[in-house]
Amino acid sequence: MKISYYPGCTLKTKAKNLEDSALASLAALGIEVEELERWNCCGAVFSLADDDLIHQVAPVRDLIRARDAGADKLVTLCSQCYNVLARANKLMREEEEKRETINLFMDEEVDYHGEVQVVHFLDLLRETIGWDALREQVKVPLEGLKVAPFYGCTLLRPAEVAVGGGDRGAPHVLQDFLSALGATPVRFSAAEECCGAYEVLINPVEGMRRAGSVLAAAGESHADAIVLSCPLCEYNLGRKQGDIRAQVSGIPDIPVFYFTQLLAIALGLDASAGRFELNMASARKLLQDKKFVEAPATQV
Amino acid sequence: MPNVQKETEADLIPIFIMGKRYLVPESLTIMKAIEYAGYQFIRGCGCRGGICGACSTVYRKAGDYKIYSGLACQTVVEPNMYLTQIPFFPALRREYDYETMEPVAESIYQLYPELFRCVACNACTKICPMDVQVLDYISALKRGDLEAATRISFDCIQCGLCASRCMGELPQYHIAQLARRLHGGKLAPRAEHLRQVVESIAAGKFADVMEELKALPVDELRKLYTERELEPAMSDEQWRPSNNAGL
Amino acid sequence: MPYPPKLKELIKVVESTRAERVDRKKRGEEVPFLSLDERKEMLDHHPDFKEEGRRPLKIGPSKGYAIAHEMADLLEARSRVDPDDIDLSNPDIDTDVLVIGGGGAGTSAAILAEENGARVTMVTKLRHGDANTMMAEGGIQAASKGEKDSPYYHYLDVMGGGHFTNIPELVEALVTYAPDAIHWLEKLGCNFSKHPDGRLHTIHGGGTSRKRMHYAADITGAEIMRTIRDEARNHRNIEVIEFLPAVELILNEHGQCAGAVLYNLETQEYMIARAKAVIMATGGSGRLHIQGFMTTNHYGATFDGIVMGYRAGVEVSFLHTVQYHPTGIVFPEQAEGILITEKFRGSGANLVNIEGKQFVNEREPRDVEAASIIKECTVKGLGVPTPTGKVGIWLDSPMIDMLSGEGTVRKEFPGKYILYKRFGIDISKEPMLIYPTLHYQNGGLAFRASSATSLPGLFLAGEVSGGVHGANRLMGNSLLDIVVFGRIAGKAATAYINDSAKEGDLTLDHVRRFNKEADEAGIPSDRVSPMLLPDYTPPKIKERQLTTHYVGTVR
Repeated sequence: MKISYYPGCTLKTKAKNLEDSALASLAALGIEVEELERWNCCGAVFSLADDDLIHQVAPVRDLIRARDAGADKLVTLCSQCYNVLARANKLMREEEEKRETINLFMDEEVDYHGEVQVVHFLDLLRETIGWDALREQVKVPLEGLKVAPFYGCTLLRPAEVAVGGGDRGAPHVLQDFLSALGATPVRFSAAEECCGAYEVLINPVEGMRRAGSVLAAAGESHADAIVLSCPLCEYNLGRKQGDIRAQVSGIPDIPVFYFTQLLAIALGLDASAGRFELNMASARKLLQDKKFVEAPATQV
Repeated sequence: MPNVQKETEADLIPIFIMGKRYLVPESLTIMKAIEYAGYQFIRGCGCRGGICGACSTVYRKAGDYKIYSGLACQTVVEPNMYLTQIPFFPALRREYDYETMEPVAESIYQLYPELFRCVACNACTKICPMDVQVLDYISALKRGDLEAATRISFDCIQCGLCASRCMGELPQYHIAQLARRLHGGKLAPRAEHLRQVVESIAAGKFADVMEELKALPVDELRKLYTERELEPAMSDEQWRPSNNAGL
Repeated sequence: MPYPPKLKELIKVVESTRAERVDRKKRGEEVPFLSLDERKEMLDHHPDFKEEGRRPLKIGPSKGYAIAHEMADLLEARSRVDPDDIDLSNPDIDTDVLVIGGGGAGTSAAILAEENGARVTMVTKLRHGDANTMMAEGGIQAASKGEKDSPYYHYLDVMGGGHFTNIPELVEALVTYAPDAIHWLEKLGCNFSKHPDGRLHTIHGGGTSRKRMHYAADITGAEIMRTIRDEARNHRNIEVIEFLPAVELILNEHGQCAGAVLYNLETQEYMIARAKAVIMATGGSGRLHIQGFMTTNHYGATFDGIVMGYRAGVEVSFLHTVQYHPTGIVFPEQAEGILITEKFRGSGANLVNIEGKQFVNEREPRDVEAASIIKECTVKGLGVPTPTGKVGIWLDSPMIDMLSGEGTVRKEFPGKYILYKRFGIDISKEPMLIYPTLHYQNGGLAFRASSATSLPGLFLAGEVSGGVHGANRLMGNSLLDIVVFGRIAGKAATAYINDSAKEGDLTLDHVRRFNKEADEAGIPSDRVSPMLLPDYTPPKIKERQLTTHYVGTVR
C-alpha cells in the first residue's frame, strides 16, 4: 500500500509547525508517506454551486497526481484541504455526469474515477495504528494537560466526509487521540463551531466576535490549551488572540496547538520538531511549565 | 554559399494564414511559409532560433477541436492548418523596487494578488510552446517555493501565450520573472570569490600590470601568450597554476 | 523533417566508409593537419580573404577601406529620407539620453544612464530584448576566480584570439570590468549556474587559458537579457518605445550628436527625437547574409547603427573580418543556421563529403575548418545537395557512439539530440548536414574605451562597435562586451551631458553632405539604407508587388 501525502500551500508557508511536527511523528511511528511530486492548490474552499465544475478541477488534478504516483491513499493534514479533496473525490466517485464533464475537460490527463482514498491524518492514525497502539508508543505522556478539542467546520461537515469514520453522535476522534497521548480532553461546548473563517477579511468585527466566543467557551471549559488541525482556525484563535483580547472582554489567554505538535512531544521527539516558535508565545511556555519539554538554552 | 534559386522539389500543401489559403512547400517552418506566401514580418518574428518568444503561433488542424501552439520558427507546417500569430498579448506587469524587496512569497502575493485566481485549469501549460509546466510553477509560488518556481519556469521565453489563455487572467510570465530574480539575486548563495575579485580590481590591484601589458610590443605579447599556462580540460575547482605571475 | 529518400541514399555512402574511418581513428591515424603554408592557401577560400567578396568604400570617413559588398552597399547608399522633408524644429521626443537598440548593450546602458540621473528614451526596431543577446547560449567570460585567474590572463587570451590586432585600451576595459559585470548581473538576480556554496560554475571556451566561462544552463544570453530587461522596466525614467528604429542621427549646430530621426515601422511615420547624448547599441549584421551565407543571427541584425554612424562621420574598423562558425545546420531547413558545437568534432566525428571521404582534419582552427568546407562544396563540387537547394557536408556523429560506446551522443549532446529527434532524425545513427554560418561582426564603428566616438555626444556599446575583439572574437566575450561597454556608455553619456553637451539648433546637414558625396562618386541612387528588415519575400511574389508606396488611392 502506497500513501501519498498532500501538504497544501499553507503548510509550506505559514503552518510549517503543522507539517514538520506531523512528518516527524510519522517517521517516528514508522509510517511511510511520499509527498506528491507535482501538486497544486486544492482550491481552499469546496465550491457548492452545482454548475461550477471548474472549481473541482484543482482538487481532482491533485487526486489524479496521487493516482498516477501509484498511491492507494492520499493523506492530508489541513482541515480545509482535507474537506475539499475528500468532497471532490466523492463527487468523482458518485456523480457520473459531473465526472464525465470534468474528465472530458481535463483531456490531457487519464480519466479519474475516484481510485484514490482521501484520508485525514487523524484517521490515518486511527485506522493504520489504532489508539491503543499509539498509546504504547507514547514516551512523554501529556499527563495533567487539559485540552479543548476544536473540530471547527471542515473536519465534520458534511457528514459523508467527517473524520472519525464510525463516530456516532458527537465526534470523538480528537478526544480519543488526546487520551491516547495521555492528555485530558475537556468538554468543550464550542468544539464544532466556526472559528470566524474568512470573516476576518470581510467583516473583522463579526469575525472577532465569532472567534471570541470560541475562546470564551474554551476558557469556561478550564482547558489549558486548544488543539486543532486547521491553519485558518489557528490564525483566528491563536495568532489573532491578542487582538481579540484587546477588543473583546472575557477572553482567556489560552495556547493553541496543532494536534500534530502534541503528538510529536508525546512521542518523545525533540521540541524542535514542534516548531513552537511559529505558535503564540504562551504555547511553548505551557509545555515547559508542564515539564513536557525543556526550556530552550537561554540566549546571550 | 551557393543558394541555388531553383524551384523546390518539395510538394506544395495548403495552409490557412489568418483564414486565407496559401500553397506552401511542405518542408517549411510556419515562419518561412508565411514569408513564402509573401508577407514581410514586422511583428511575429525575432531570433528565428526558438528562444526570443516573438513568433508564438496558435493553430488548429482540420477536423480537430484542439488548439495547438508552437513557435513559428520551429514548427513545420501541416496540410490544412489554420494559424495565426499572437506576437503580443496585453498582460499587467507591476513595477517594483528590486533592491528593497524581500525575497519571500508575500512580496509576490502583494504585487500579484491575482495569483490566487488560478483554478488549476492547466490551459497555460497546455498552450506553452516551450513545454514549461506553467501551472506547476504557479502552484509552487502559491506555496511560497521560489526555488521550484525558478527551476520550473527557467525555459520560459515570455511569449505571453499562457496569459492569453488564463481564465484567472494571471500574467504568469511576469510573475515567474519576479520569482526568478528574487531567487537568483537574493535566495541563492552569492559568489564570494567574485565579490573578492571585484574588490581587488576596484582597489587597483591590476592597474600597473595592465599598463605594462598594453605597452608591450606584439612579439613580446605573442611570447607571453604562447607561454601562458593552460588549465587542463579535465581540471576541477582545486586546480592551481604552477606560479602566481599575473594573479 | 526526416531525411528524404535521396539523402538516405547518400547516407549509405557515408555508412560504407564509416567502419574504416572509425578504425583509423581508433588507431590514432588522423588526416594530417595543414602546414602553416597550406593553411594560408586554404584561407583563400575563407569568405574574409576572398578578394571578389569585398571592395573599397568609395565614400565616407573610411573611404578606400575594403569590406564585404553587402556592407559597402549599405554604407554607400542614400538616406531613407530627404533631409529637406524633415522638420527638426519641433521634436516629438525630448530626452536626455537616447538609446538606440533594445538588446543587452542598450538595456545595460539605459539602466546605468538612468541611475546616474538621466531621463532615458530607448527606441528599438523590434521588441525590447529582440537581439542576439537573447540567443547567446554558451556563456560570459570573466576572471572571477582570483586563485587561478586574473584580468592579466583574460587580456592575453583576448589578444591572442584576435591575432594581436585588438585595440589594447578596449581589451583592458573589457577584462578589467568583467568581474564587476558578472557581479552586477548576479545582484540583479541572474540565475548563473552555481555550486551549492554559491561558487560559480566555470568552463573553458575556445582559446581560454583558464576556465572562466560563466553560464546559466544553456540559455545564458536569454537569462541575462530577461533579467536586465525586467530591471529596466522598473526604472521610471526609462521610456522604451518598440518598433521605432532610428534611421539617421541628428547633429546640432555645435557638431554634437543630438538626437535621431525615427521611423514607426507600423504607421510608417518619421519622428524626431532630440537628446543631449545618444548611445548606439544596434548590434550586428548577420542578416546581410554576406556572400549568401546563412546566419545564427536575430532577424533584426541588419547593420543599421553602423550606417547611421558612418554617415555622421564616424570611421569603421575591423569590418573586414566576420566570424563564421564552421558547423551550422543546413538541413533540416527549420533548424537552418543553428550552431553545432565544436564538441562533436572534439569527440571524434569526421567531416565527410558526398563520396563519404574525409577531406580535412576535424580539429583545425575555426577559420581553416570553415574554409575547407567551403572549398569542398564550391570549388570541388563534392558537397551534399539538400532538398531546399543548398549544399552541406556530413558531420558523422554516429562515429561518436562507435568510438565511445552506445548512448554517448544522447548523453553528451542532449540538446541537439532532442532537437533532431523532433525532426525525426536520430543523430546517433544518422550524420548531420552542416555548412559554415555567419555568426558575428568582429568590427564596427570605431570607438574608445570610454565608449565615446569621434562624434561628440555619440557613444557605442556592443556588436556595433569595432576593435575590442580585433580580427576574431573568442566565445563568451560578446555577452561580456555588451554588459561592460553598455554600463560604461550609460555612465559616460550622463557625464557628457553634465560636462559638454550644448543646446543648439538641430541639423541633418551631414546627411545632405553624404548624399552629395554619393552623387559625386556615381553611386546608384536607388539604393537606400539602413535596411531595417531583411526581405525574404520570394522573387516570384516580388515581381507582382507593383505598388511600392501609396496613400489612399494615390501612389
